Amino acid sequence: MIRYLLKRLFWMVPLLIGISLISFFIMHLAPGDITTTEAGFNPKASEESRQKLRELYNLDKPLIVQYGLWLKRMGTLDFGTSFASHQRPVFWEKKDDQGNVNPGMIQEALPVTLLINVLSLLLIVVIALPLGVISAVHQNRPPDRAITVFVFVGFAVPGFWLALILMYWLGVVNPWLPISGLHGLGHENMGVLGRLWDLGKHLAIPVFISALSGLAGISLFVRNGMLDVLHQDYITTARAKGLPENTVIYRHALRNALLPLITLLGLSIPGLIGGSVIAESLFAIPGMGKLFYDAVLMRDFPVIMGILTIGAALTLLGNLLADLAYAWADPRVRRGVVQ
Amino acid sequence: MSRAMRNPLAFWGLVIIAIVLALALLAPVLAPYDPDAIDVKSILLPPSTAHWMGTDGLGRDVFSRMLFGSRISLLVGFVAVGIATLIGVILGAISGYYRGWVDVLIMRLVDVMLSIPTFFLILAVIAFLTPSIWNIMIVIGLTSWMGVTRLVRAEFLSLREREFVLASATLGARDHRLIFRHLLPNSLTPVIVSSVLGVASAVLIESGLSFLGLGVQPPQASWGNILTEGKEYIQFAWWLSFFPGMAILLTVLGYNLLGEGLRDALDPRTNGKGKK
Repeated sequence: MIRYLLKRLFWMVPLLIGISLISFFIMHLAPGDITTTEAGFNPKASEESRQKLRELYNLDKPLIVQYGLWLKRMGTLDFGTSFASHQRPVFWEKKDDQGNVNPGMIQEALPVTLLINVLSLLLIVVIALPLGVISAVHQNRPPDRAITVFVFVGFAVPGFWLALILMYWLGVVNPWLPISGLHGLGHENMGVLGRLWDLGKHLAIPVFISALSGLAGISLFVRNGMLDVLHQDYITTARAKGLPENTVIYRHALRNALLPLITLLGLSIPGLIGGSVIAESLFAIPGMGKLFYDAVLMRDFPVIMGILTIGAALTLLGNLLADLAYAWADPRVRRGVVQ
Repeated sequence: MSRAMRNPLAFWGLVIIAIVLALALLAPVLAPYDPDAIDVKSILLPPSTAHWMGTDGLGRDVFSRMLFGSRISLLVGFVAVGIATLIGVILGAISGYYRGWVDVLIMRLVDVMLSIPTFFLILAVIAFLTPSIWNIMIVIGLTSWMGVTRLVRAEFLSLREREFVLASATLGARDHRLIFRHLLPNSLTPVIVSSVLGVASAVLIESGLSFLGLGVQPPQASWGNILTEGKEYIQFAWWLSFFPGMAILLTVLGYNLLGEGLRDALDPRTNGKGKK
């Protein structure tokens, strides 16, 4: 297992270098340099902040030196400070000269987005698994057909549109759920349970929206995986030796159909993180998505570059976790018998 | 193709696509009003015989804007997928045919691109450029070629070892003949399926971007930016958010149905009742 882990970690190095190259490339997409292009930069920005930007990215130095410095800053996770008037550090808290701690922007936003993503992954698994299994067991019969219709509509419905409808229906017409932010008024005075309930109500629609498209995909995936497994010889053997159908399906078939799901959940992480932009900005949830959207509108480049890099690193981490989980669940992978 | 048409998914998908495409192509003929004509006397009118889908906050006819918006949404979808498919086929073919270090390099590039959350990548690029319909097509295209590359590479790797290709190589066929006559035509099936599915996701991305105000810019109509206005008026004018949302849903549904239907019909493994 240790050897496997080391091998996987080693493979992340070229990927991280690639990510640094791509983000460096994006930074230089704008014609001229990013401080002068009229589209690229807020015209209200002062000459001082332009100068700061040039210094931050060393725009006066040769390209190769710029890249080297960018790589070094990525390595030390130093993404500078925001262009907004509060000038907070982009990634992690910093002490200023007076000893006041200035909290980092990503530091505050990341846990929120992680919470939403973990909850929606859980929701996806809890709903998609039974749907996929039912679909496969009743292949081409009414339950399968109904689930297939749900899957296709779930795929096609634009998340932001459904969010808008739910927001209006559950938040305005029937004001059951709050539709903005993470906390209700006076949440500081609530007990632990009260706070959790408050947070849950605020997160209900965003988590559902962010889970929806993944839900459809994963249940289709579970269905096809189950169908593949159910037609294999060892399932016929299990049935032939007289095992109850439930044991065959849940003990023998499902376990093997679940293995690829681990990888797929790992692969769905970038989509979930990226998808958080629309849900978070609609519901004013202070996570990575909203932070990114606001940064794009404000052309707050240090924040954009910081989130892009951290988002990619998170994805790599997610894939690594998925691979480790797979290796843990399947000894064949761990021992390198199969890829 | 006839086998594909007997597949109910593919059939209904194609019906939806054909209707939407016809409406988009005939927009100038069908639209009862100028989509950009502001009429202050008829602001936020509900659907009626005069305005089938009502009017918006500037008194513009929503049905006409929907028709012209469909042209933009579909155009973005097609061009973006065209770019992605072209890049994907070229890189995948090079990777699968020449193997070696080129293959390693291209596959690592695919891994890198897949590890950056796509929507973040698109938004970041748009932040550095101006949001215009051309930039959006290019950006969506440049960020969605990875799947096609992997598909084509896998096809090339397996086809390369097949007898008919080996025979042709033994007879002295050159690289370009092997690639263009034997390998490429035989690996197009999964590419077609993934392009059809790609249109669906490109339409969704474009509408999301426009909804956020970072896509197609008003006054040019797109389904996404009609919805943005729908958000503002959702308490007074349901029609402004209902129709564009349904249009996006149906279009995406159509392409997904056709894509999955084609996959079923063209894949001998899943063809017919059971597998294998």
